[in-house]
Amino acid sequence: MKKLRLYYEEHNKGPLKLLWKHFAPQHFAFFGLVLLLILLALAVLTPFLTPHNPYLQNSQLLLLPPSWQDSGLVSYPLGTDDLGRDLMSRLMLGASYTFGLAILAVVGSLLVGLILGALSGMSKGVKSSIFNHLLDLALTIPSLLLAIVIVAVLGPGLLNTIWAIMLALLPQFVHGVRNAIAQQLKQDYVTAYRLDGANRRQLLFSVILPNTWEQLVLMGTMALSTAVLDIAALGFLGIGAQSPTAEWGAMIADSLDSIYLAPWTVALPGLLIFITVLAVNLVGDGLRVAMKKRREN
Amino acid sequence: MILHYLFRRLFLLAFVFIALTVFAFSLGYLFPGDVLGNFTGLRNISPANEMILTKQLGLEQDYLQQYLLFLQRLLHGQWALSFSSQQNVLTEMLLVMPATLELAGYALFLSLLIGIPLGIVAAVRKDKWLDKLISTLALVGFSMPIFWWALLLIMVFSLSLGWLPTSGRLGVLYEISPNTGFMLLDILLSDVSYRQQALFDAIRHMLLPAVVLATYPTTVMIRFTRDSMLDVLDQNYIKTARAKGLTRLQVLYTHGLRNALLPVTRQVGLQFSTLITLAMITEVIFSWPGIGRWLIDSIYQRNFPAIQGGVLLVSSLVILVNMLTEIMHTLFNPLARKF
Repeated sequence: MKKLRLYYEEHNKGPLKLLWKHFAPQHFAFFGLVLLLILLALAVLTPFLTPHNPYLQNSQLLLLPPSWQDSGLVSYPLGTDDLGRDLMSRLMLGASYTFGLAILAVVGSLLVGLILGALSGMSKGVKSSIFNHLLDLALTIPSLLLAIVIVAVLGPGLLNTIWAIMLALLPQFVHGVRNAIAQQLKQDYVTAYRLDGANRRQLLFSVILPNTWEQLVLMGTMALSTAVLDIAALGFLGIGAQSPTAEWGAMIADSLDSIYLAPWTVALPGLLIFITVLAVNLVGDGLRVAMKKRREN
Repeated sequence: MILHYLFRRLFLLAFVFIALTVFAFSLGYLFPGDVLGNFTGLRNISPANEMILTKQLGLEQDYLQQYLLFLQRLLHGQWALSFSSQQNVLTEMLLVMPATLELAGYALFLSLLIGIPLGIVAAVRKDKWLDKLISTLALVGFSMPIFWWALLLIMVFSLSLGWLPTSGRLGVLYEISPNTGFMLLDILLSDVSYRQQALFDAIRHMLLPAVVLATYPTTVMIRFTRDSMLDVLDQNYIKTARAKGLTRLQVLYTHGLRNALLPVTRQVGLQFSTLITLAMITEVIFSWPGIGRWLIDSIYQRNFPAIQGGVLLVSSLVILVNMLTEIMHTLFNPLARKF
C-alpha cells in the first residue's frame, strides 16, 4: 500500500537502493546474479554436497554415460570420466577451484590495486609520472604472457597461477582506481571539502572512496570473467592446475583423449566455464546499465 | 607541434623498451637454474669455458655492467641459445613469427569485417529485436572460453562432418618453399603446377583457427562500436542535422560514422595484445607452428632462454603496435590532440 502523503515531500533513496531499483528489472542481469549466487554457494559448500568422492577411482564404472542415456546410472547423474571418477562431484568441486579461486584472486588484486592506485592518484610529479608509464607498459603485455613468465619462475601449479593472475590483473586495477580518483578530484564537492580544511587522507577516505566503490565493483566483475577464463586456460594448457585436480580447464585437458568415446567429459566442464563467465558478464553489463540510468535520473 | 608530440612518444617508447629489457635481464636471475646457463643457453658448461663465459658476460662485475653487456648482445642479434635446439633464440623466433602474424592478421581482419557493421546495425536499431539478437550473440561470444569453442568446432566440422582439417597449415601433399613465412603469400609467389589446389588447401586449414581466434575480438568490436555509436547518436549535432532535414542515412554517414569510428581505430591496437594471447591457445589446439605454441612448448621443456627471448620479442611487438595505433589515432582525431 502506498504511504499516505499529507504534504509534498522529496524522498531521496540511498545510492545502493537506487542502484538495485535499476538493476532488478533487468531480467537477464538478475538471472546472472542468481546464477552467480548459486555458484558461490557451490564453491563454498561443495565439500558437504558432493555425492561421491571426486577423486575416488572406480574401475568398474569407466566412462559411464550420463543418466539420461540408457546405459547410465541414476547414482551417477552426469556419468564418470576415463578413470571412473564421478563427473558431477568433480564438476561441483571445480566450482571452488575455478570460480572460488578466481574470486579470491580478484579480491586480493583489487585490494592491492586500491592501495597503489590511491597512492598514485593522490600524488603528483615525476614519481607519479614514472609510475604511470611503467603501468602503461604492464598494461600492454598480454596477461597470459605475464602468467607464463610468472609460472616459469615459480613453477607450474594452481597456487602459482593464482599469484600470476593476481599480478596480471593488478595493472588494470591500479589504472582504474587512479582514473576514478582523478575524476573525483575534479568534482566540486571535493573542492568544497578541501576548502573546509580536509587533509588528503580525510579527502580520500571520507569523500573519494565512498563515491568510487561502484566503479570498483564494476571493475571487479569485469576482471572476474578474465580471471575465470585465465585459470581455466592455464589449466587447459597444463601450466596451471595439475592433472588430478578437479579444475574445469584441467578436466577438459584430461578428457581430450576420450573426446570420441565420451564427448560429455569435455563438453560439460566447458559448459560450466561458459555459464560462469556468462553470468559474470550479465551481472557486469547489468550493473553498468543500472549505474548509467541512475546517473541520468 | 606535431614533431614535438612525436618526439615525446619516441622518448616514451625508448623508456618503455629500457624497462622491458631490464625486466628480461632480471629474468635471467629469477629463473631457476644457474645464471650462466640462462644467459647463454649453453648446457653442461665445462669449468674452463665457465671462466671465459663469465668474463664475457661480465658476471663478476656489477649488475649495471652486466645489463649493458646484455643490451649489447641483444642489439647485435647474439641472443641466447635455446636449451632444446642449441640455436639462436632470435632466429628461431623469426622463423615461427610469420605464422602467428598471419593467423592474427586474418582474425583481426575478420573481426573488423564482421564486428563493425554489426555494431553499427545494433546501435541504429537500438532495443529492436535485431539489436537484441546481435547483443546477445556478442555476449555469448564474449563469454566463450576459446579452447572449448575450438574443441566444439573441431568436434562438429572436423570429426562429425569431416569438412575441415584439425591441425597444421598445409596438407603434407603440397610442398611450398618458405620464402616469407606467410603461407598464402608463399603459395602465390611459388611457381608450382598445383598452386591453386595448395592455396585452397591452405585456406581450408586456416578457416577454423581464424574463426576461433576472431570470435572474441569480433564480439569486443561489436560491443565497442555499438557503445561508441550510441554515444555519438545521442549528441546534439545529430539532432541538429536531423532537424536541418537530412535523412537518417545521410546523418549516419556524414555525422555518425566518422565520429563513432574514430575511437574504434584505437581499439584495433588494443585488440592486438588480446589477439596474441588468444593466438597462443589457438595455436596449441590446432598445432599451428607459431610463436605461441613455441612459447608454450618452451615452458614444458623448461627452456628458460627461449621464454626470456619470447617475452621480450612478443612484448616489444605488442608495445610497438599499440604505440603506432595511438600515434595514428592522435593524427586522425583532432580531439585527441593535446599538443
